[in-house]
Amino acid sequence: MSTEDKTFAGADASRDAGKRSPFAKGIGVVRFLLTTWKVNLAAAMEYRLSFLLLAGMMFVNNLIWLFFWSLFFGRFPVVHGWELGDVMMLWAVGAGGFGWANVLFGNFHRVAQIVSSGQLDVYLSQPKPVLLNALASRMSVTAAGDFLFGVVIYAWAGEHTLAGLGKFAMGLAISGLLFMGVMLIAGCCAFFLGNSEGIAQQAFNSFVSLTTYPADIFRGMARIALFSIVPAGFISYLPIGLLRNLEPGFVLGAAGMAAGTCLAGAWLFRAGLRRYASGNAVSMRG
Amino acid sequence: MSGGGRLLPRLAAGRRKAAAVARITIRQQLAYRADFALRCSFLLLILFVFVQLWTAAYEGDREAVIGGFTIKQIVWYLVFTEALTMAGSPLAAKVEEEVKNGDIAVRLLRPMSYVGYHYSSYLAEAAVRFVLHLAVGSLIAWPSVGAPDFGFGWLGLFSLSFGAITVAFLLNAAIALCAFWVEETSGLQFVLQKLQFTIGGMLLPVDLMPEWLQRVCAWLPFQASLYLPAKAAVHPDGSSLLASAAIQAAWIAALGALVAYQYRRGARKLHVNGG
Repeated sequence: MSTEDKTFAGADASRDAGKRSPFAKGIGVVRFLLTTWKVNLAAAMEYRLSFLLLAGMMFVNNLIWLFFWSLFFGRFPVVHGWELGDVMMLWAVGAGGFGWANVLFGNFHRVAQIVSSGQLDVYLSQPKPVLLNALASRMSVTAAGDFLFGVVIYAWAGEHTLAGLGKFAMGLAISGLLFMGVMLIAGCCAFFLGNSEGIAQQAFNSFVSLTTYPADIFRGMARIALFSIVPAGFISYLPIGLLRNLEPGFVLGAAGMAAGTCLAGAWLFRAGLRRYASGNAVSMRG
Repeated sequence: MSGGGRLLPRLAAGRRKAAAVARITIRQQLAYRADFALRCSFLLLILFVFVQLWTAAYEGDREAVIGGFTIKQIVWYLVFTEALTMAGSPLAAKVEEEVKNGDIAVRLLRPMSYVGYHYSSYLAEAAVRFVLHLAVGSLIAWPSVGAPDFGFGWLGLFSLSFGAITVAFLLNAAIALCAFWVEETSGLQFVLQKLQFTIGGMLLPVDLMPEWLQRVCAWLPFQASLYLPAKAAVHPDGSSLLASAAIQAAWIAALGALVAYQYRRGARKLHVNGG
């Protein structure tokens, strides 16, 4: 099929989309995402050795952090109720959630860069949902190592029952959605503040760092902030509030926060698009 | 005789060139204030998290001594190791970029040693950042655990910091010069960074590690770049200071020889197309 055919087919699909039922639209979006992920995977597999090295590198990185925690808990076996096993599961849900989000929607922490550099024009010109298209058009290769790490640590230290597996899967979903929602909100600042790549990158580093330490070491205002304006606590408390004790209030709050931040991010993106002025950047996506 | 006569002017000229590179680097550092502010805010956050973590570990007991450290000594130790860690610039990425895009050809044309140029630049950048990071780190540590009244410890910290930065540079240079042979050095750089974080003593003083690991760490160069100066600051001791300086000197000699060998071999096989 030539490029021209693709464009016309896309335009027809776009026109038809207006008449289709919500269910048919949903199916269309799912098919579009599946195709995007397939193409991303094929592109990553072109450099198979590099893919394996980068993913393996990230796996080793996380393992070294766990080595640090094993040294720490070797000296202090219980810290505010947390043991080494809890921190291992914290890294499993944190790295695993970040991993799947970054593999499937690898641009979620690059929104500010895309907006600031005018790369959004490419996605605006295509007859597909702009936000989904922008997020899913990149697959992070290193994040595959993060996801694999999460699964391996669950197999090592997790609860090997059906309920345990369900809770772990839920933890992965909550953590991945929270990473995406928070970073989307931070990235959308670029629509309103101009070039805010540095701020978004800083927000990303800070949020990721905060999710890797036990939530219970924080007290007072810091703890309140961790469960409100910087909702990293909803990830870093998962090993206790979901995996160990299943506290319904916390689980509902975490799921609500994950969904809420994603919806707020999507709304901000939509609002930002109305203010967006093209960067006049001539670019192509292969 | 005539060789010796030329040596002194050459050394003086080398020193002047190194000083000029250092001056330019410092000016560059002071120009990028936003970058500096962002890095400092991250340092503040990380130190805040560390204070929370170690306060929880010590259960808020300021008098407790674990592994020879009070909570105050641990927190200030972490300020010093973080300040040193974040002082270094991404040398491997710079060299890799220069090799890939051919800029190295311009650098090699200059009447100055290639490694020497990067050393001057690294040292100047690290010195500025280290002092600023110490000031920023104090904003968290001082109100949390009290004033850094370490007396002669400060002398130990500053006297060993020069050696620590030099060891860190040489370790990074050994990785960076691999760019002459391999396309990507980020993986190696990444492993080095994590070794410094853990067995280098950035996150945890070596004294708090298990006995067997302490013995392993004693034979590796990583502790010379972080643990030794930070320990000298919070545990001032004249004889340990001399021993630490000797360890750093030995590693500087060994790593310096390795880097010189790598550079000689690498520069011979380097091909730059265009420029």
